[in-house]
Amino acid sequence: MTDEREATSDETLCRRIAARDDAAFDLLVARYQSRAYRLAWSFLRNGEDARDVSQDAFIRVWESAHRFRGDARFSTWFYRILVNLCLDHKRRGRWWTQLVARGDDPEAESTLVERQPAPGPDPGDRVSEAQTMARLWDAVHRLAPQQRAAVILHAQQQLSTAEIAEVLRVAEPTVRVHLHRAVITLRRELQP
Amino acid sequence: MTDRRPDDLTPEDRDLLARAAAAAPTPPEPAWGEYRTEVRARLDARRTLGARLRAWWARPAPIALSAALATALLLFALVPVARRPVPIELAALDEAVLGARLGLLEHYRVVERLDLLEELDVIRQLDSVASRNG
Repeated sequence: MTDEREATSDETLCRRIAARDDAAFDLLVARYQSRAYRLAWSFLRNGEDARDVSQDAFIRVWESAHRFRGDARFSTWFYRILVNLCLDHKRRGRWWTQLVARGDDPEAESTLVERQPAPGPDPGDRVSEAQTMARLWDAVHRLAPQQRAAVILHAQQQLSTAEIAEVLRVAEPTVRVHLHRAVITLRRELQP
Repeated sequence: MTDRRPDDLTPEDRDLLARAAAAAPTPPEPAWGEYRTEVRARLDARRTLGARLRAWWARPAPIALSAALATALLLFALVPVARRPVPIELAALDEAVLGARLGLLEHYRVVERLDLLEELDVIRQLDSVASRNG
């Protein structure tokens, strides 16, 4: 059982990919596709971009699998590739391309409030809570890139500060500072 | 991923971040089969491109072209700085300085004896001492 798990661990699959094993690559894509897409979507907030960037991350894994030394976990290494691609994509993005992309994405058209489930017994409270959540999500999106990355990796992917530090290639105290500043900003944004 | 998260955050901070994570709307789910097919197609395209590039490099003409370019670059990099043409302004300045000294060069014999002037005081005193003794 342990041997079987070892044979299909992420790290082993990555080593097999380095040896140009197509089956290992397919298995790894199937294993990470959902996480990769969701993480990219949290950064980019656009379905097409998230699809494109997350797929690109898998191609990078294929191309640079031989560089994975196994010091860190595969997931950390993979998130580093993905987060860098997301940050690069945001940096490259022009305002007009973002506008066009938003126009193409029906999900981006509707506001978060519209996408909330139908109100229950107390519609007023529900709408207010949905609005707060929408403001919170927008505030996350307005954070500085490194702070946003730290918040998403911490809160959504449940990574420790040490793991986030490895992903972002910064010192662990820097991650704590990012999280702390992000919390201060989010609190300020939520004040009425 | 790990249970222990030494992040210096208070429970309220963590609650806020948890809410921020929960505030993320559910993204539109792609059809995963189609998604994987696209990844495979992109990978195949990349491999084909790589193979084409390798084939292109294997041809003699590109190799000769690249070698010529590399040689030209190497030669350009190795040309000594002195051989490169002097900028016009600097050359003109040099010429002006040399021109100003041409008069001195014509009277070089006089210039050669000018160092005797440094000993003029000593020579003068020697004369007076000689006359007093005499």
